[in-house]
Amino acid sequence: MTRIMLSEFIKIKRKLILFLVVLGPLGVVGLQAVNFGLRYDWLTSQYKEDLWGGLIGEVTMLSVPTILIGLTILTSMIANIEHQTNAWKQLLSLPVSKMKVFAGKALLSFVLLFMACLLLVVGTIILGISLKFGANIPILYLLKMCFFPFLAAMPFLALQTWLAISMKNQAIPLTTGILGTIVSMYATGFPDWMPLKWPWLVNEWEKPIYSVLLGIVTGLGINLLSLIDFSRRDVK
Amino acid sequence: MSEFIIETKNLTKKFGATRVVNHVDLKVKKGEIYGFLGPNGAGKTTTIRMLLGLARPSKGSIHMFGKDIRKEKLAILRKVGSLVEYPSYYGHLTARENLEAVRVLLDVPKSRIDEVLSIVRLTKDAKRPVKGFSLGMKQRLGIATALLGNPELLILDEPTNGLDPSGILEMRELIKSMPKEHGITIVVSSHLLSEVDQMATQVGIITKGRIIFQDSIQKLREQASSSIKLTVNDVEAAWKTLLSNGYTTDLVQNNIYIDRGTDDQVAAIVKSLVEHDFSIYRVEEQKKSLEEIFLELTGKEGGLL
Ligand SMILES: Nc1ncnc2c1ncn2[C@@H]1O[C@H](COP(=O)(O)OP(=O)(O)OP(=O)(O)O)[C@@H](O)[C@H]1O
Ligand SMILES: [Mg+2]
Repeated sequence: MTRIMLSEFIKIKRKLILFLVVLGPLGVVGLQAVNFGLRYDWLTSQYKEDLWGGLIGEVTMLSVPTILIGLTILTSMIANIEHQTNAWKQLLSLPVSKMKVFAGKALLSFVLLFMACLLLVVGTIILGISLKFGANIPILYLLKMCFFPFLAAMPFLALQTWLAISMKNQAIPLTTGILGTIVSMYATGFPDWMPLKWPWLVNEWEKPIYSVLLGIVTGLGINLLSLIDFSRRDVK
Repeated sequence: MSEFIIETKNLTKKFGATRVVNHVDLKVKKGEIYGFLGPNGAGKTTTIRMLLGLARPSKGSIHMFGKDIRKEKLAILRKVGSLVEYPSYYGHLTARENLEAVRVLLDVPKSRIDEVLSIVRLTKDAKRPVKGFSLGMKQRLGIATALLGNPELLILDEPTNGLDPSGILEMRELIKSMPKEHGITIVVSSHLLSEVDQMATQVGIITKGRIIFQDSIQKLREQASSSIKLTVNDVEAAWKTLLSNGYTTDLVQNNIYIDRGTDDQVAAIVKSLVEHDFSIYRVEEQKKSLEEIFLELTGKEGGLL
């Protein structure tokens, strides 16, 4: 598996993929910088009890749709590396198991998004400090709010990975991804069983961790199904 | 263990109701260059995909190196290098990076990259992005990738497709040198008989999913051996006379043909005709070309020279 990941990282060289991983969190933090820059007095009075908490909340509002659209583009770009020149046939006639190849692609998307979330944490800290919100950073809360939505979005990640890899024509996965992102913006009012609601971490128990656990379990379930599907299918 | 590097039994692939590959028994011995010949759509690529585990047979078995592909696919693929249809490559990477992405999966030493680059003479261009390569260079990179893991068996699907004459010649020389220099067994598919004729030691001919010939290239050439063409007056009467005297000949377009007759048989037939007062205008030897045999074997519609 290490060798597969090594190979995957060689293949994303010189693609815009890594740029995207930086652009996502940078965009979110940048927009919040503008937001707080323009409405500094109003927002700081609004959140004067908990300046950091206010900032983190605003960041999350933007980060959820960014994660969804980001993972849509990322999975599609990663799959397209193989689709473009029909490299699947070369890759899968090497002595590596089909399951591991698929798992490698899924893991690559996961790792890259994880890195993006980490950058979001760092970016938010830098922004908060520049806004003079003090050194009393609620680091645990910040980590939660940056990583939980991503983990709760696992079913979406798994589904997009599957679609992007199993179809040569990327119009379909891109469309479902964009639609999913748009629908998710109105998802806080959905019933709790709807996966698109989970990244918002709201549920009737008011325990974000439930959304996360549901996301991880469902995501792994979809991953397993797609793994089996991929390994059974003839290579195009 | 069987003497064959590749042995398939009743290998069949169905797409819907059509059998694109139909009960194919391939037999490839070690050290051979096996020319897998067939017109477009005959099922060559489909067969090769099954050999590489890219497609699942609908029926039948595949054994390579004496191992069942269903049970030991990865162990088999470890010893196989391949190039299927069009070259696969990552255009945004350089030739060296392309090879590196495969090398880490095969876990062979880094020095192997330089070796294969020099075998296909791409050392100079190794640092250029592959999307700027000519088709011939991409095809050579494909061969280099196939050679990376020191394979014992090389499976090449139409490796000269789309190359210009000098590219074809170069590819052919490269393929021919492999068994000699590296002891590699090669399966190379083509729809051109002349091409197979120039490099193969064994030939399998497939058409409409069925193998219709599988033997050495010499055997195929022997089929091309002569027939004798007789031009006489009143052919039909002559042919009937010969038949009543116990000589079976073919009557085609006002000529009598003796297929693969010995010298004595030919002499006896001529004598018999003279005795029955036929005028013999010509006795000619007719060599069938390999192309004619191929056409005959594959049926007229399959012909492509
Ligand atoms: N995935 C598929 N679904 C349906 N039919 C297919 C599929 N793949 C191949 N075929 C059909 O199977 C037949 C054999 O195709 P194949 O590619 O094996 O031929 P080939 O001998 O390699 O021909 P060529 O010389 O043109 O490369 C063709 O008629 C093709 O249309
Ligand atoms: Mg073909």
